[in-house]
Amino acid sequence: MKIITVIGARPQFIKAATVSRKLKDYPEIEEIILHTGQHYDKNISDIFFVELNIPSPKYNLNVGSASHGAQTAKMLNDIEEILLNEKPDCVLVYGDTNSTIAGAMAAVKLHIPVAHVEAGLRSFNRRMPEEINRIVTDAVSDLLLAPTKNAVKQLNLEGKQESTVFVGDVMYDSVLYYKNMIDKREKPAIITGIESFYLCTIHRAENTDIEENLRAIFAALAQTKKTILLPLHPRTKHIISKMNIKIAKNIRIVEPVGYLDMLSLLVHCEKMITDSGGVQKEAYFLQKPCITLRNETEWIETLENGWNTLCGANMQAILDACDSMPGKQTMLEEFGDGNAADKIIQLMLKKFS
Amino acid sequence: MKIHLIVGARPNFMKMAPLYREFKKFSDLFEVRLIHTGQHYDQKMSKVFFDDLNMPQPDFYLGVGSGSHGAQTAKIMEEYEKVLLEDKPDWVIVAGDVNSTVACALDAVKLHIKVAHLEAGLRSFDRSMPEEINRLATDAISDLLLTPSLDGNQHLKNEGVADNKIVFVGNIMIDSLVQQKNKADLSKILTQLNQQHNIKLEKGNYCLITLHRPSNVDTKEGLKVILDAFEKIAKELHLIFPIHPRTQKNIEKFGFEEQIKRMSNLIFTEPIGYYDFMHLQMNAKFILTDSGGIQEESTYFGVPCLTLRENTERPITITEGTNQLVELKTETIIEKADEIIKGNSKKGKIPDLWDGKTAERVVELFKRIRGEV
Repeated sequence: MKIITVIGARPQFIKAATVSRKLKDYPEIEEIILHTGQHYDKNISDIFFVELNIPSPKYNLNVGSASHGAQTAKMLNDIEEILLNEKPDCVLVYGDTNSTIAGAMAAVKLHIPVAHVEAGLRSFNRRMPEEINRIVTDAVSDLLLAPTKNAVKQLNLEGKQESTVFVGDVMYDSVLYYKNMIDKREKPAIITGIESFYLCTIHRAENTDIEENLRAIFAALAQTKKTILLPLHPRTKHIISKMNIKIAKNIRIVEPVGYLDMLSLLVHCEKMITDSGGVQKEAYFLQKPCITLRNETEWIETLENGWNTLCGANMQAILDACDSMPGKQTMLEEFGDGNAADKIIQLMLKKFS
Repeated sequence: MKIHLIVGARPNFMKMAPLYREFKKFSDLFEVRLIHTGQHYDQKMSKVFFDDLNMPQPDFYLGVGSGSHGAQTAKIMEEYEKVLLEDKPDWVIVAGDVNSTVACALDAVKLHIKVAHLEAGLRSFDRSMPEEINRLATDAISDLLLTPSLDGNQHLKNEGVADNKIVFVGNIMIDSLVQQKNKADLSKILTQLNQQHNIKLEKGNYCLITLHRPSNVDTKEGLKVILDAFEKIAKELHLIFPIHPRTQKNIEKFGFEEQIKRMSNLIFTEPIGYYDFMHLQMNAKFILTDSGGIQEESTYFGVPCLTLRENTERPITITEGTNQLVELKTETIIEKADEIIKGNSKKGKIPDLWDGKTAERVVELFKRIRGEV
């Protein structure tokens, strides 16, 4: 069986790596990786490919950044051409980016079955481009691989029972795998001498591009009186200096870190403050309380007993969440048993080979 | 309120023309722009639809032309996004299930522009049809779903769409038929064909054929089944077949020319204009088709229709109308045609809200939306 995996952005590299690693146990399957180049930052992509030991892409479309329509269009056009040449038995797409929807649309029109990993997630905020990508990809895919029971429920509500399977979350597989590696490694150098700290990431446009929000977040970080470790994308750094936002002494800005270092920092931190979707979950898997700088989450399971708190860019809400302690964690099985990747491969073999 | 109406392929024109005219009656309330993606474009067809339907030239013509599905959808998305960014409408109305429908809807929704889908909720449940994929994707992201029949409402509900997004407005294709029927009555197409081909067509003594689906006319096997059936049916009545150039080529390519010559009752014609075609539809003994819209039009005219497909996204034409699905088998086609020729044809009725007032209801709805903003 021949599979084409379409990826393009950071979170997809990690998810795909988990499945690619498992695919080595299946010599009857040939996997071809197609990288759309949606995340064009060379450093970020290369770090991830090397560090996570992802087989390197056979194709890189180098689409780069553009408006949503133009970017999706370019991918759709180029992916179709590759699919026509490669004639795979199925196409595997991940998550909710423009690469996801473009891969799914290109394949389904060529009658190549599509499997969607992380199907059924909904923020119910249609102003998010990711939400539109999720909805369309789920509408056209042949195999919907749900990461949680809530995702299964959502897909059932949409009448997609027949194509939906609960496999668990590949990110959980991934965290378990890398946690094992991290436990054997030294602490990352950047936290030498720091007893306890909060780890923070900010990247969403709603936080970085709206001055009022960014100011409120930095004000809250300052008032926590905790050491805050903040790996920051150069773009965000630039915005901060342009807006003339003062960085309090307790906030330590560092260069962006690779996935393994990030996970390692998460293992060692006291709490996590983030606006990323994936990080909320990683915090939950590693039993770290998470303060989320958004007003909604696709991962409602993480909200149980205060393990994750939605604060938006509200200073007081952020401070209150930093002060509170979560209760018992009981919903981990909602994310499967850590064998999602294997289940995904088995299902594809059964349905598409 | 600024509204874009999207047209790209033949069926879109018939759906958008009545809506365009109705919106224009309220030009103090609505600024309406016509966008033609150029998905289907040929001089003749364009003239037919803009002249016959009395439509103005489009405000924006994207000129995308033909291509594979991905490439064409991509081109439309790329070009229409530029128009949206420049013209900034409040609403985009897309119709039907072609690549222009899904591409323009996706562009708009990503730019936070509201999308209404006219002819929402249709399902053939056959995902190998590109139209089905376009329908599923467009309905999944549209803000307002305007359905032609209540089975559409039910499908959307089954897919978890909130009730307040779904409005049963009726079948807008029928608006065009109602508005243009009188002109179509006056068409001289039967006389013209009689003179050209030295035959005697009159009301009820011929079968009208429209076939274009690849599974029917692009394979040797499919064409053979169909032509073998024609050979038998043509002994009973005339067959009028406005043939697509691609199908004509396939007939030559697969070596069916000899067989065609044997059938003096089989008349191939050029593409036929809107009124002439409607005249042929209204007066046919029956229609043999694989198109979506013609199933509906036949039901409206009460003319028996045989649809050469395994499924239909317009089941109301079967449950209430004059339509029947027919397997791609020579004997089955002949058998069904014989029944009709013998006068044992299915009697249908016109479904609810197929009354020619759908455009009025859509515009009324937009007046309310405008009032609420």
